[in-house]
Amino acid sequence: MELIVLFGTFLVLLLFGVPIAFTLGLSSLACILYMGLPVELLVQRMQAGMSVFALMAIPLFIYAGELMLHGGIADRLVRFAQAALGHKRGGLGLVNVLSSMMFGGISGSAVADVSALGSVLIPKMREQGYDADYAVNVTVTSALIGLVIPPSHNLILFSIAAGGTVSVSSLFLAGVLPGVLMGVSLMVVTWWIARRRGYPVGRFPGWHAVAVAFVVAVPGLLTAVIIVGGVRFGVFTPTEASGIAVIYALLITALVYRSLNWSAFVTATLNAVKTTAMVLLVISAATAFGWLLARLQVPAAMFALLQAISDDRYVVFLLINVILLLLGTFMDMAPLIVITTPIFLPIVVELGMDPVQFGIVLIMNLGLGLITPPVGSVLFVGCAVGKVRIEQTVRTVWPFYLAHLLALLAVTYWPQISLFLPQVVPDRAL
Amino acid sequence: MSDPHTQAQPAAALRRLTRVLNVVATATLWVAGIGLVAMTAAIGWQIYGRYWLNDTPHWTERFSTFIMVYYILFAAAVGVRERVHIGLVFLRDRLPRRGRLLVDIATNLLIFGFALALAWYGANTVDMRWNQTIPTLGLRTGMVYLPFPIAGVLMAIFALENILHAALGEEGKRGWN
Repeated sequence: MELIVLFGTFLVLLLFGVPIAFTLGLSSLACILYMGLPVELLVQRMQAGMSVFALMAIPLFIYAGELMLHGGIADRLVRFAQAALGHKRGGLGLVNVLSSMMFGGISGSAVADVSALGSVLIPKMREQGYDADYAVNVTVTSALIGLVIPPSHNLILFSIAAGGTVSVSSLFLAGVLPGVLMGVSLMVVTWWIARRRGYPVGRFPGWHAVAVAFVVAVPGLLTAVIIVGGVRFGVFTPTEASGIAVIYALLITALVYRSLNWSAFVTATLNAVKTTAMVLLVISAATAFGWLLARLQVPAAMFALLQAISDDRYVVFLLINVILLLLGTFMDMAPLIVITTPIFLPIVVELGMDPVQFGIVLIMNLGLGLITPPVGSVLFVGCAVGKVRIEQTVRTVWPFYLAHLLALLAVTYWPQISLFLPQVVPDRAL
Repeated sequence: MSDPHTQAQPAAALRRLTRVLNVVATATLWVAGIGLVAMTAAIGWQIYGRYWLNDTPHWTERFSTFIMVYYILFAAAVGVRERVHIGLVFLRDRLPRRGRLLVDIATNLLIFGFALALAWYGANTVDMRWNQTIPTLGLRTGMVYLPFPIAGVLMAIFALENILHAALGEEGKRGWN
């Protein structure tokens, strides 16, 4: 009965359009009242959900991404990608994917990726005769790469939701190859569609131009190396790394590129504050919601249910993927990481999956929800930037979607893709 | 409703309220922004202390988690006003204008109620924990929960402002998409 109150209120409020943070908070409140518990518990759970030192990496990585964005690093990455790939068939599509892979090494936010790269590349693609649906589809689907390429604040959230037992530096390393795999499979689709639709071929600017663009882009590209290396080799903790990322972003945008002025700094700061407040309020409310689920023994029930359906690990992995995909279409990523990790992680570990691998599977899977209606923040932002209707892009997105699904299945059933790097790089993390 | 004179007065009053709340919201957002910068500085200081002073400061972790809750809740309150909190709006967006306004009013009433609950029970928690202290910072434990009543009240005010705007037929613009 308590569960009916919890899920019932949740569903009604969600469909009604109440923001997700408040939907989670209000349904937890209703359930707490129904169970006759003191409401102070809600405040305490929400506070506990927010005041975690490791969680601080989320605002700081988002802040670093905003600074790099307003400080002009995104433009330089795009210029390098364009010099390297712009002349190929469907070149700007490939440039878009490559830029997303590089931008993913600066910001772990897919929404930031879409608004940063999309606002530069979508108009450029339209100008050169690419269709709007294609431009938006390439932009939104490639934005998901940044979710797994380090630094990824969603992987940090997963590590916290897993009770802090999964090493962040291993998760960071584990995300690299899946990110590359996503990038390559999207590039194949991008190129294939470009050929079928007869998109233009550009002119190669020469190796000199590529080299110059690369050198200019190096400070941005180094961010991921500094962060992952620094954490892995014990120079600083993941949370400290996020602080380093902010300071590094300030140094290169203000002193090296000299493109960050006071007003850009203020814009970046206030944007970061708003974005992180939104994300963390959801995390905080989801913590209260997840606490109630645990109290009502939902994880154990789910365990029993999945075991009753099948004891074959491949079937269970597939089922979990399907459940997560469905949840992902209705909910945002952060609350689902907080809520589903304690439910599914014990199950997959019992069946022999490494927690690090599951982290990558979870993020890739929930990422697809960000580009699927009805709740798809990345898709929404992409369509807004590209000035197209959602219906228009959804009709032609399937080849890209399929590429993502294949990559997801590969990472689910082939542990080496995610686990190879964490296994070979020595671990001296603090 | 049809008489322009009777409608103009509440609209003018609301515009005055909105101007006041513009200042409140901007100030709150700046306080939150300063909190974010202070948090970055504390983390920077922690690394500096460890490598250059050979003395890791112990207050930085507690301090930054402490201000994080403040700045998140403050900015989240402004987020209610700027409608940055993401929700499932595809059903709402299909309604005619009048229906959309009604849904906005109902949604903001719910947010208003939740904000008041946070404020009330947050204040209780502050009260319960006031006599304990956080050792590393020398502050009262109750202060950890203080942002709940403050931000709860701010959130309730901003939700009420949204309701008044919707009641006068002004549709709010979403901060996202």
